[in-house]
Amino acid sequence: MALLSIRNLHASIGEREILKGVNLEINAGEVHSIMGPNGNGKSTLAGVIAGNSKYTVTEGEVIYKGKNILDMPVDVRACEGIFLGFQYPVEIPGVSITNFMRTAVNEQRKYRGLDPLSGSEFLKLMEEKKKVVEMTTKLANRSVNEGFSGGEKKKNEIFQMAMLDPTLAILDETDSGLDIDALRIVASGVNKLRRPDNATVVITHYQRLLDYIVPDFVHVLYEGRIVKTGPKELALELEQKGYEWIKEELESGK
Amino acid sequence: MEKIVKDFRDLQPRLRKNEVWRNVDFSALLTDELRLPQGERQTAEYRCNIPNLDALRLVVENGLCHEGLTVDSQGIVYGSLRDISGKRADFVRQYFGLCTPQQNPYLQLNTENYTDGLFIYVPDGVQVERPVQLQSVVNAGHGLFLQVRNLVVVGRNSRVTLIHCDDSYDNAPAFANNVTEMHVGRDAYVQYYKMQNLNNQTGLLNHTYALMDTGSALRSVAVTLNGGHIRNHTEIRMMGEHCDVQAHGLFLNDQEQQVDNYIFVDHAYPNCHSRELFKGILDDSARGTFNGHVLVRDGAVKTEAYQSNNNILLTDKAIINTKPFLEIYNDDVKCSHGSTIGQLDEQALFYIRSRGVSERTAQTLLLYAFCDEVLQQIEFEPLRDTLVDMVKKRLHGELTLCADCALHCGTPCNGPEVNFYIDPAKL
Repeated sequence: MALLSIRNLHASIGEREILKGVNLEINAGEVHSIMGPNGNGKSTLAGVIAGNSKYTVTEGEVIYKGKNILDMPVDVRACEGIFLGFQYPVEIPGVSITNFMRTAVNEQRKYRGLDPLSGSEFLKLMEEKKKVVEMTTKLANRSVNEGFSGGEKKKNEIFQMAMLDPTLAILDETDSGLDIDALRIVASGVNKLRRPDNATVVITHYQRLLDYIVPDFVHVLYEGRIVKTGPKELALELEQKGYEWIKEELESGK
Repeated sequence: MEKIVKDFRDLQPRLRKNEVWRNVDFSALLTDELRLPQGERQTAEYRCNIPNLDALRLVVENGLCHEGLTVDSQGIVYGSLRDISGKRADFVRQYFGLCTPQQNPYLQLNTENYTDGLFIYVPDGVQVERPVQLQSVVNAGHGLFLQVRNLVVVGRNSRVTLIHCDDSYDNAPAFANNVTEMHVGRDAYVQYYKMQNLNNQTGLLNHTYALMDTGSALRSVAVTLNGGHIRNHTEIRMMGEHCDVQAHGLFLNDQEQQVDNYIFVDHAYPNCHSRELFKGILDDSARGTFNGHVLVRDGAVKTEAYQSNNNILLTDKAIINTKPFLEIYNDDVKCSHGSTIGQLDEQALFYIRSRGVSERTAQTLLLYAFCDEVLQQIEFEPLRDTLVDMVKKRLHGELTLCADCALHCGTPCNGPEVNFYIDPAKL
C-alpha cells in the first residue's frame, strides 16, 4: 500500500479552482520532486495535504496510511506524521524555538500515548537535532523566525522536521532564498533524515536543489494537474528547455 | 452616601465632556456601602509571594501608613507621608504637589482629603540596592473609599526600583482615588512597576505624576491582572534635555471589568526620547480604553516619541476604545503612533498547529507571546519571572484572586474565584 495516494484532487481558494484533478502515489522510502511554473498549484497541493483551511477541497481524496485525511484537523495530521516545510515560515514574536518545539514534541507524544519528555531529555534531543542543520544555540533561543535571514528560516524548518521526525515531509520551495552554503546545509539535513520508512516531497523551481537531494521521481504540475512524471533526468531536461515544450506537448496531444 | 463619595461621583458627568476623561464612569462602583477609613487594621501579615525578592516593604493598609519616619544607612528617608509632613513640613513642602502643574478635580479631591500614604526620599548619588515595594492593601471587611497619596523623590544621579502593588485582600467593595507623585532628579534612573490585582467590586483611579530632570530616565510597566474598574492616569513631564521615558502597560480583563490607560508625555526640551507600548486582552464583556497623548513642544527638537497600543478582543462583546495621539509643534522629530485591534494571527495559528499543537494550546501560546513583549520590558528579574508566571496562570484560568494575589496573606476570602479561561469557541 502506498504511504500517500492522491486521487482526482480538486481544490479551490474562494471561487477559483487551483487543483483540477491531481493524482499522485508516494511510497515509503521515496523522494518525489514536484516542479512547474509559478501559480500552477504546487503550494496549494502542499497546503491541502497539510490541512490549510484556506483551501476548499471540492472533489477527490487524499489517503495517507490508509486513512482519508481530508477531515482531519491540521494538528492531527501533523501528529499522524505529516510535516510541511513552509515556503514562507511565519514569524512568531514572543515564542522561542525551544518553547515551541517542546510544546510540539510533547503534544505529538501525547497523541501517540507517550509520556512527555523531561526537560533534560528534551534538551538532549534538541542538541542532537541542532547538529543536523548546524544550528547555533543562540538561534534556538530566539523567537520563532523573528528577524531571521532567509537561510536561517529554512534551516529552522529542517530543524523542526528533524525534531518531529515525520513520516511524510513536504518541503515547499525550501531552496528559495538560500545561498550556496545554506542550500548545502539544508539539503544535507534532509538527506540525513531520509529513511526507508519515510518519504519526502520536494517542491522546487530549480534543478540545483536536486543535485543535493536526488529524487526518485520528478513530476510536473501544470494548470492544476500533474501532466508529466519521469526519473531525475526530467529535472535536467526542464532546466535546459524550460516548460514551453511541455505546454506544446500537451497542446499537440489534445 | 458619604459626602466625599458623592462629591467624586458628581464630578464625573462634567469631566466626561473633557477628552482626557472621556469614557470615565465609576458610578456603578460608587455605592452607599463605601465608608471613609477609620484606621482599620488587620492582624494578617502582608507577605509577598515573589520568590527571591529582597525588598524594602512598605505597606499602606486601608488608606493609612503605619511606618514611622525612618532614615536608613544609605540616607534614604521613608515613612508615613502624614507623619513626615508633620515633623518635617518645610522639607516635604519643597516637593508636594509640584509634579502636577495641570490640576484636575479628581487630583484636587485627593490633595484636599488624602488620608495618608508613603513618602520616600532617595538622596543624591545613591544606588538603592534593594527595590522598594509599596503595597496598597485594601482589607477592611467592609466597603471603603480611599484616597492615598504617595510622594517619591529621587535625587541626582540616584537609582531606585519601585514596585507598587494594589491588592484586594477581601471581597468587599472599595474605591480608591490614589495619587503618586514622583520627582526624578538629574541623571537619575527610576524603574517603576505597578501590579494591580483587585477584586471585581473595586474601582481604582490611579494617578501617577512624574517630573523628570535633565538626563533622567524612567521605566514604568503597569500590569493589570484583575479589577472592577481600573484607570491608570499617568502624566510624565520631561523638564530638561536627554530624558528617556519607557512607559508600558499590559491588561488582561474579563467579565464586566473595565480598564483604562491614559498617558500624557510632555516633550518640552530637545533630545528626549519616549516609548509607550500598551497591550491588552479583553474577554467576555470587558471594556478598555487607551488614551495616549504625546505633546512635542516648539523647540523640543530631536525628539523621538513612539506610541503603540495593541489589543486582542476574544468576544464580540468586548470593547476597546483606543486613541493614540501625537501633538507636534516642531519639524525636527521622529515620532510614530499606532494601534491595532484584532484577533489572533491566523497564519501563525496554522503554522503552530501544523507542528502538531492543538488549537487550544496554539491559541494560549500566541496569547502569551502577545503579552510577553510587555513583560520583557521589566528589567527586574524576580518580578518579571513572577509576572510571567502570573500572566500564564491568568491565561490558563488558574489565577485566583486569593491564592495568587501578589501579596499572599494566607487568609482565604470567600468570594467567587476569578477565572480567565480562554474558551476556543469564543474565538
